[in-house]
Amino acid sequence: MVDVVGVTYRVGGPGGPRILDDVTARFAACKFNAIIGPNGAGKSTLLRVATGLLRPSAGEVRYGVRPVAAFRADELARTRAVLSQHVELAFPLPVEDVVLMGRYPHYGPAPTSRDRDIVSRALELVGMVEKRRQPYPTLSGGEQQKVQLARVLAQIWNLDGSREHKYLFLDEPTTSLDVHYQLHLLEVARDLLAHNCTVIAVLHDLNVAFQYGQQLFVIHDGRLAYETSRPSDISAELIERAFRVRATRVGEDGHTAWRFMKTDKAGPIPVRRSPP
Amino acid sequence: MLRRLSYGQTYVLLAALLAVLVVASAAIGAFSFTPAEMVRHLGAAAGLLPAASADALSRNVFLELRLPRVLLAGVTGAVLGVSGTLMQGLFRNPIVEPGLAGTSAGAALGAALVFVFGSSTALSFTAPLGSIAVPVLAFAGAFAATMLVYRLSTSFGKVNVFTLLLAGIAVNAACAAGTGFLSYVARDPQARNITFWNLGTFTTADWRGTIFVGVFFVVCFAWSLRYGKALNALMLGEDEAAFLGVDSRTLIFRLLVVNTIMVAVATAMVGVIAFVGLVVPHVLRILKSSDYTFLLPGSALLGAVLMELVDIVARTIIPPAELPIGIITAVIGAPIFLWILLRQQPQRGTGATVESGAGAGFYG
Repeated sequence: MVDVVGVTYRVGGPGGPRILDDVTARFAACKFNAIIGPNGAGKSTLLRVATGLLRPSAGEVRYGVRPVAAFRADELARTRAVLSQHVELAFPLPVEDVVLMGRYPHYGPAPTSRDRDIVSRALELVGMVEKRRQPYPTLSGGEQQKVQLARVLAQIWNLDGSREHKYLFLDEPTTSLDVHYQLHLLEVARDLLAHNCTVIAVLHDLNVAFQYGQQLFVIHDGRLAYETSRPSDISAELIERAFRVRATRVGEDGHTAWRFMKTDKAGPIPVRRSPP
Repeated sequence: MLRRLSYGQTYVLLAALLAVLVVASAAIGAFSFTPAEMVRHLGAAAGLLPAASADALSRNVFLELRLPRVLLAGVTGAVLGVSGTLMQGLFRNPIVEPGLAGTSAGAALGAALVFVFGSSTALSFTAPLGSIAVPVLAFAGAFAATMLVYRLSTSFGKVNVFTLLLAGIAVNAACAAGTGFLSYVARDPQARNITFWNLGTFTTADWRGTIFVGVFFVVCFAWSLRYGKALNALMLGEDEAAFLGVDSRTLIFRLLVVNTIMVAVATAMVGVIAFVGLVVPHVLRILKSSDYTFLLPGSALLGAVLMELVDIVARTIIPPAELPIGIITAVIGAPIFLWILLRQQPQRGTGATVESGAGAGFYG
């Protein structure tokens, strides 16, 4: 599990704007933990603090009982991997070389045959084997994201029966994917749960979050506003308050989904500009 | 065809090419040597063959002028090639090289300061440094110039190409003005002239300088080889590299220092030679791969190959005179530079890079 204990994060040191305010959350081991919340609530910052990339201004992050700050950089890289929204490459590296980067923390000067094997199997898993020699920048946005998924899978590869516990962080990973591969990606992530891996994902599609999230965290205004292990508990009222939309549940039992309508009463929502 | 070869086979091919060119470069020139003569001179130098007194002039020219020059050209080419690779990795852009980013010009300014004022009171603080004053000040100048360009062109971990080029132009111009002023006021006939600083030359090569540059190159190069994987990871961006266990701030700082040391030492000996660091990695990227674990050794070899070729041309194109090295590298390099720049346009031109930052100020 990942324990976030009393984490406050300020931009630019003490006195800077507070993005996270005393957040305490426990991301359950071998579960799909979904983080949701409106733009600018601090979800991505929370994720980045949890990965160890950002050091909190106060509080601590622990993997199991061990503080993330106590990990060596390469050790941490063998323990957890992070899939970001979109990764560009200025140089024409072939797909398999990009996926091999996931194995960098595991080998010295030259990759072993196991590293090569893991790269092939990760490429198979995301359906990109045929394009393994193609230069990464020539791929479509969706294909690039599949390659990145293969890279992070290779980084924390556990499917050959390793006993070590691994963590997979996803930061709005499905933005550039069509609906089929959105679901494919999330199912690949869900399959890892059975292999000693904990998944922690920031998701912006609420229906996807309710469908896949086994543990749900609602971040609002830099605080943990709500937490539940039963996504069906989420009420229309909570969604309205957090996202400024009117929410109605549609469909029958077992196949329910939410439909949203913007409420104008609260005025315009301050939307952060997303990167190109 | 190179794509079919393994990295190892490519190195062997380049090394063989280099060996051929080193022999050719040693043989060709105002004074030419037959293979038999070269073997005889080398044998005499090693004490394996008797030194015939009839050979004295020829032997001296070969051993004291030609040989150090040929080797210095090779090592300088290797330095510039590796430097281009390192800087392109650090700036995450194929348009960077020591000549454009101010590294060489800063080194030249630092070295020129010592050459011109070394014995005067203004720089008396360098006296305790003795003969290492030149490389030390060259390093200081090169490091200051490179850091300035790096800081100016980087915001939020991303490099802005426009600012990079503009900052490079400004820093290069300022350093060149300083060096120009120094060579103008220099009264010491030993002080190197402005052509030397701006266009580079191997005519002043001697064993001391060659060994000096060679030792620094070998140490810096061996050290930088450890960072091939980290440079690859950095291609993904600083955050993604961090997720792979690469501390990019430390990496960037260390490699900038190593790179600056190599370039400063070489520049203090041969002057500013532009475009080699640009062309060498570019050719390797096209022919083979952008993988830095390959590019680092590859650019050392191809840099040396290219510089031997350029030096042969410089010595033979207008005999008995000699063309400055920088003229030839610019003739080859400038069109390639423009080509890379134009190819970058479609990606960069539509993005925020043009609308924001220096671009807006420049066009607005």
